Formats: sequence, structure tokens, C-alpha cells
Amino acid sequence: MKKWRYQSARDLDRPPIDRLRQFPREPDMLVYGLRALGALIIRGLLRIYNRFEIVGHENLRTNRSLVIVANHCSHLDTLCLQAALPLRKLHRIFPAAASDYFFQSIPRLWAAAVLVNALPFARRARVRQSLSLCQELLASPATILIIFPEGTRSTTGEVGQFKSGIGALVAGKDVAVVPCFIDGSFRAWPKGGRIPWPTKVRLIVGEPRNYRSRIADKTEICAIAAELHDAVVKLRYETGNL
Amino acid sequence: MSPQNALHDPIFRAYFFIVLISLAIGGAVLGFLRVVLKRETASMFKTYWSWIIMAGIGLVVVFLGRVPTIIGVTLLAIFAFKEFARASGLYRDWWMTGAVYAGIVTVGIASLIAHPRGGEPGTGWDGFFVAVPVFAIALILLIPILRNRARGELQRMSLAIVGFIYIGWMFGHLGFLANASNAYGFVCFIIFATALSDVAAFTFGKMFGHHPLRSEISPNKTWEGAVGALCVAMILPWLLRFSFPFFGVWQLILTGFIVGIGGQLGDLSVSVIKRDIGTKDMAATIPGHGGILDRIDSLIYVAPLFMHMAGYYYPLK
Repeated sequence: MKKWRYQSARDLDRPPIDRLRQFPREPDMLVYGLRALGALIIRGLLRIYNRFEIVGHENLRTNRSLVIVANHCSHLDTLCLQAALPLRKLHRIFPAAASDYFFQSIPRLWAAAVLVNALPFARRARVRQSLSLCQELLASPATILIIFPEGTRSTTGEVGQFKSGIGALVAGKDVAVVPCFIDGSFRAWPKGGRIPWPTKVRLIVGEPRNYRSRIADKTEICAIAAELHDAVVKLRYETGNL
Repeated sequence: MSPQNALHDPIFRAYFFIVLISLAIGGAVLGFLRVVLKRETASMFKTYWSWIIMAGIGLVVVFLGRVPTIIGVTLLAIFAFKEFARASGLYRDWWMTGAVYAGIVTVGIASLIAHPRGGEPGTGWDGFFVAVPVFAIALILLIPILRNRARGELQRMSLAIVGFIYIGWMFGHLGFLANASNAYGFVCFIIFATALSDVAAFTFGKMFGHHPLRSEISPNKTWEGAVGALCVAMILPWLLRFSFPFFGVWQLILTGFIVGIGGQLGDLSVSVIKRDIGTKDMAATIPGHGGILDRIDSLIYVAPLFMHMAGYYYPLK
């Protein structure tokens, strides 16, 4: 009789909370179920409470891997982008989340890992490791990465400078990069706010871009970051006020 | 079983104090080891804190009554099976694990509802409860047919069936015991006695253990520990005779054997699974104990054997 092969989960010896911290996470029926339920509730609440609206939805309709690049001024941003994508792709959406902020305290960890399937991104040290993790993910089909290249939530509502890491991630890669602008999330739930306010939030999705012909050297990746920044800011002025 | 009954039930109240006293004695012994004998007890204290929390949760659930007890046992079975599925790799197959979860929930439902035609409410549907494996195994065997797949399915079906029978159904008898008219005595006794004989096996093994019990299965278990546990288990039914005042001598002896030997066998049969998979613990859910399955494994034999022994001699209801 041939020997059976057991493929145990890789995290058997880690306590349940620690299992949420690691990445990639093992598939878990309970986590997937809670995430799907949470996504439904979040979608409903955004539509009703924040009168959430999407402009340029057709730019997200693809079955290939995507990098979504957006401005960041609120926790609502991730939820809005997640709500703009179809439910069946829910578990392949990975928002990059600051590992020093989201992966320490248990309530935040739970929200980040269970609700939005966040990818722990080390934004201070070991940025390169985090970027290569993102690249590995993009290599598998139909992965959607959500990246806020400002690296933190804006405290003024303006779009800050983009870090060059986003350029390093997409330069020379055949992957669609979709710039997005989220309007109104700063008013609805600014940094330091306790609960979201019922003000209108709008997501503007830009045309996908591709940087496969660019080389990944220092000047180029900074240029790509600046281009993406301009693309995001342009979306704001093209579409008019909320 | 209900909170009002529990408050006035002498058996439940007695077990409440017995558990408190046992925990106090355990703490005192550990404290003595640490302070007077200066032994390294950090890991034992971790285990002990987990015991306190588990005892608290267990007492509260049994106090709350029949329905919470059955739901609690079902949830334990679900999470224990999840650990088994994660360790054996079955967790990747959501069809199979889904079928087993459905089976475990059915075991819980069969314990909760009465026979639809003429059953007294609150007594459980024993005929269906005993027949659940037929339906669960049929469902598990059906899945490869529905999915039109054969490669590797025998392994998946086997793992699912073992997982369901061991963890879902055999352990699920503990929940069905909550339907007995003497539920407090039965449920409290087998949980307490099995836990105590586990502790006895560990303690005797630590103190006198030399001869490995099953060297190929679990290197840490010894004959000395097993015999010590059996002795403790043989004495307990006599000491705690108030739990089942209607038991005769023969039933008390059988109870001792079931707890003493069944507890060890349950432990060893989960060890066989762990050893073949090549993992030390099923998970790291309970600090100092390993996974939920590592904790409840002794009850896998004890709960069904005890239930059928008691049901053979006396009507459960």
C-alpha cells in the first residue's frame, strides 16, 4: 500500500491569533464566511449610510491581476475599494496594510485579517521584503492588490506625495495599474475620528495603465510614482465636485 | 436541566464545590512544588490557568441548561474537527469538511429535538441520534460522485469518516447525555472523572514512569501512568456515588473501567493520528494543553461507552 501524504496546515503550532498575523494565511472556512458576510454588510451600509457611488466602474472589469492605487485619508478607503469589486473575487483582494499599525493590537488585527484580508506591509524597515511579497502575489492569476502609496492617511484631505515603492512594484511588469480617487472619505471619517459620518462618498476609477516597458531603476520608479500621483489627482478635477 | 434546576440540584451544587476544591488542591500542590521544592513549574502553571478557565466555562454551560450544553458540545466537536482537518490536510477540501460539519450539526440537532411523532419534548431523538452516521457517511461517499472525481478521494473520504465518527459522533454522546433525567450526575461525573484520570495519568507517569505504554504511538505515556489513572478512575465512582445513587456495584465497577481504560484509549487513538501525521499537538488553541482535540480526546471513548452502559441498565429518561 502506498503511503498517504498528509498536507498539514503550515501554522498548526501557532495560537489562533498568531495565525491571523502570518501571511499568506491558510484558507479557513470560518474566516471566509465572516469576510463574505462582513463584505455584504459593509456594501449595504456604504450604499445607504454614505450614499456610496462609483464612477468608471468598467475600468475594474477584468479577470487579470490588478494593482489598484488610490489616495488615502480614511479607513473607509479600503472598504470602498473592496465594495467596488465583485464578491466572488473577495478572497483574492489584498489591501496592503501597515504592519506596525494593523498587525499589533488584536481588534485591528482581526478587522484587517478577517474583514479585508490585509497584507502586512512593513513600511519602515524591510520594505523590499514586503514589495517582493506583493510581487509573488501578483504572479498568481486574478490577484487584486490595493495600495495606498502615500504610506499613511492624509490629515488634510489632500493627496500627499507617492512613495517610490509603487514604482518599483509595477516597473517592467505586465500588470494593469488602476489609479483611483476616493472623494468624501476624509469628511466622512478622517484620521482620529471615532465613527463615520453619513456624508457622501464617491469612488472614481481611472483608466488602467501598464508599465511593462519601463526599467526598474531609481529615476524611473520615482517617475512612475509621480505619474501615478498626477493620474490620481487628475481624476479628482476631471469629475467635478461631490 | 435549567438554571433554576441547577441552583436547587444537590448534584450540580456538589460538583460546583468539588471542582473548586480540586482546583484549589491542584494550585496548592503546584505552589508547594514551586515555593518549597523550588521546581520549574512555569509550564505546569500555564496548564493550570487553562484548567481554571475551562472549568469555569464548563460549569457555566452546564448551569445554563440542556440546550446550551448540547450546543456547547456541538461547537467543541466542530472546532475539534477543524483542528483534525487542518492537521490532516483535509481542510483544503471544503466539500468534505462541509459534509462533516453538516453531520456534526445533525448530531447536535438529533440530541436537541424529540421524536417528531410522540416524543416527549426535551428528551432527544435517540433512534435518529444513533443513526446519524448512516446519513453522514452516505453524504461523504456521495461527494466524489457529485463532483465526478476519483483521484485521491479514498483518502479524503476516509479522513472525513474517521473525523466525523470520532469527533462528531462519539464525542457528541456527551451532549446527548444532557437529555438524561440524571443529566447533572452523568455529565458532571464523566467530565470531572475523565479530566481527573488524565491528570492522574500525567502525575503518576511523571513520578514513577519508566515503562513506555505504546512506544510507537506516544513516547511520553507509561504503564505506570496508565495504571495510576485506572486506579483513580476505579475509586472515583465510589467516592462520587451520589452522582448516580441508583447504580449498583457492578455498574460502579464498569464505570470505573470505562473512565480509566476508555480515557487512555481515547488519548492513544488521537495520538495514533498525530503520530502518523507527524505533529506533536493538533493545534495551539489552549495554552499548555495543545489543541481542543488534545483536551477532549479522552472523552471520545468514555462518553459513548458510559451512555450505552447506563442506558443498558437503566432508562436514560
